[in-house]
Amino acid sequence: MGRYVARRLLQGLLTLFLVMVLLHLLTTAAIQLNGNPALAFFGDRVPTAAQLQAVSERYGLGDACYNQLGNPCVGPFLDRLAAYATGDFGTDLRGREVTEIVAVAAPNTLRLFAVVGLTWLVVGMTLGSLAARYRGRAADHGIRAGSILVDAFPVFVMLLVYKFVVTVPMSTWARDTFGAESLPALLFRPSFSPDHPWATVLVPGVLLGLAGSAAFIRLVRAAQLENYNAEHVRTARSKGLGERHVTLFHIVRNSSIPVVTAIGFVFAEALAGAVVTEGLMNVYGMGGVLWSAVRDSDVSVVVGIVTLLAVVTVVVMIVVDLLYAALDPRIRFD
Amino acid sequence: MTDPTTSALVAREADASGPGGPARRDPSRSLWSEAFRTLRRRPSVVAASVVVLFFAVVALVPGLFTAKDPRRCDIGESRLTPQGLGAEHPLGTNVRGCDVWAQVIHGAQPSLLLAFVVVGASVLIGLVLGTLSGYYLGWVDALTSRLVEVFLVIPLLLAALLALSLFRNVDLGTGQLASILQPALVLTAFGWMGYTRYVRASVLEARNLDYVTAATVLGASDLRVMFRHVLPNAIGPVTALVPTAIAGVISTEAVLAFLGIGISPPAVSWGIMISEGSEWFTPGTRHLLVVPLSCLLATVLSFVVLGDSLRDALDPKLR
Repeated sequence: MGRYVARRLLQGLLTLFLVMVLLHLLTTAAIQLNGNPALAFFGDRVPTAAQLQAVSERYGLGDACYNQLGNPCVGPFLDRLAAYATGDFGTDLRGREVTEIVAVAAPNTLRLFAVVGLTWLVVGMTLGSLAARYRGRAADHGIRAGSILVDAFPVFVMLLVYKFVVTVPMSTWARDTFGAESLPALLFRPSFSPDHPWATVLVPGVLLGLAGSAAFIRLVRAAQLENYNAEHVRTARSKGLGERHVTLFHIVRNSSIPVVTAIGFVFAEALAGAVVTEGLMNVYGMGGVLWSAVRDSDVSVVVGIVTLLAVVTVVVMIVVDLLYAALDPRIRFD
Repeated sequence: MTDPTTSALVAREADASGPGGPARRDPSRSLWSEAFRTLRRRPSVVAASVVVLFFAVVALVPGLFTAKDPRRCDIGESRLTPQGLGAEHPLGTNVRGCDVWAQVIHGAQPSLLLAFVVVGASVLIGLVLGTLSGYYLGWVDALTSRLVEVFLVIPLLLAALLALSLFRNVDLGTGQLASILQPALVLTAFGWMGYTRYVRASVLEARNLDYVTAATVLGASDLRVMFRHVLPNAIGPVTALVPTAIAGVISTEAVLAFLGIGISPPAVSWGIMISEGSEWFTPGTRHLLVVPLSCLLATVLSFVVLGDSLRDALDPKLR
């Protein structure tokens, strides 16, 4: 087990390194093709070569390789790696530390994730188990049809319709009925408010969670159906165990392995969903920050944040792999 | 993402129903014809196929449905309400006075073309890399696994956002293909990993079966074994993914259009229409959002239904 963990960690480090190389190559090629982002600092004025050089230096784009198309810019990449190793993630174009930006933005994204994760788990497990329990009957067909319908509604469309069609009349009505600072009025606010971070993130989070749970419902249903007819379940029943005990300890627990697999996928999906949600609902989170950094060609913020997200993703993947061994005694890694 | 044994397991269990072992399956021809027979009898599948076929025809020959140019707009006729069939503007006009009917007809082409190009290219990459890594294992497999993991770490939408906005100033010229080339490249670059893992897992199962050993012993070359014997068995689970993936690309295109990257004006796509029309819903011009949105939802829903039924039909365990 220890050796397996060590190997996975090393593989994870290698992946992270490769992700950084990929990011570096992408951003470098973009700068070489589009021109120096430092020019934006001067607006309409035409800077002298010395001025441009000074500003480029400050943004960390002073190296001559950024002007040569096709040059992989190995030097600046090594400098960045060395800086990251000492915990220095650089600053944005206005001189604000990337770590500081992340410290403000990350809690909002985590709130969104908490709501999404909870919705996803509760809705997915409950409806999936129900569909498996009543397979072939009306409840099963209804739940499956519902999940396909939700699947066909892209997250983005769902949020768009919510923002432009639902929020305006709902929040006007709630403001008039309950007052501007009441909970229902906050719930249906069309955009995020930092003063009420939980209330304004709740509905978008639930919508995002619902969208993710559609595939999860079918996964849970399929996993449990396989177990309903399994031999160990028949044994448990023939021992005289109650149906509730059998369902909880022999079916739900044994079908939790594919569910754990899904955590990895849902995490990646939620990350992508967060970009859309935060962009649409003006949440100041990781996705929103990244979106504006990309728009301003703020290279150090983009690379810093995507690297951070990549670290989190790699850790989640490793944890998921280790959970297999904990849940399924048949899986051993040595 | 994991070592060979677990990732085969992951890939197998990640699929809701599990592709099932080729060993338990009937010979491939009867599997396909049987799947087809099951599908033909389902009303939902028939309805979904009709919708998909209809929009495919719309995308291929838009001239059949409208003679108007979607880009010829008269600002004086801005935001007309739908006038019904036979009138000058059956579905009204948008803010710039362009005919919504003509736009929605011509908007089908880039959306569907992009989806087919992206999914086709991704499946091709997945088949080649998955077969190679599952068949040869060793360093080929290690390299592919690392590559898959690197691209998996950055989620599709994040990557598309990043790459498309980084290169948005690069001009590729006008024309239908040029306007979808950039989103197609980016979405393919970050969309092939799933297929690779599925194919690899199936190839891993198939390569040790007796008939493959028999073919090897008879002196068949590696290429022949891979493409004549192993691949036909590995292709099943991937086919079931395709319709759902097409639906996914169509909705991703809408997101990208909304963010102002991806297929860009003057090309017309449903995503662009939705993003333009959404802000006019509350002021009262509802058809600007409702019309493209219904087309998008109808297409996506049909593809999702097709994918779901296909997966069930190809899964021997659910028979």
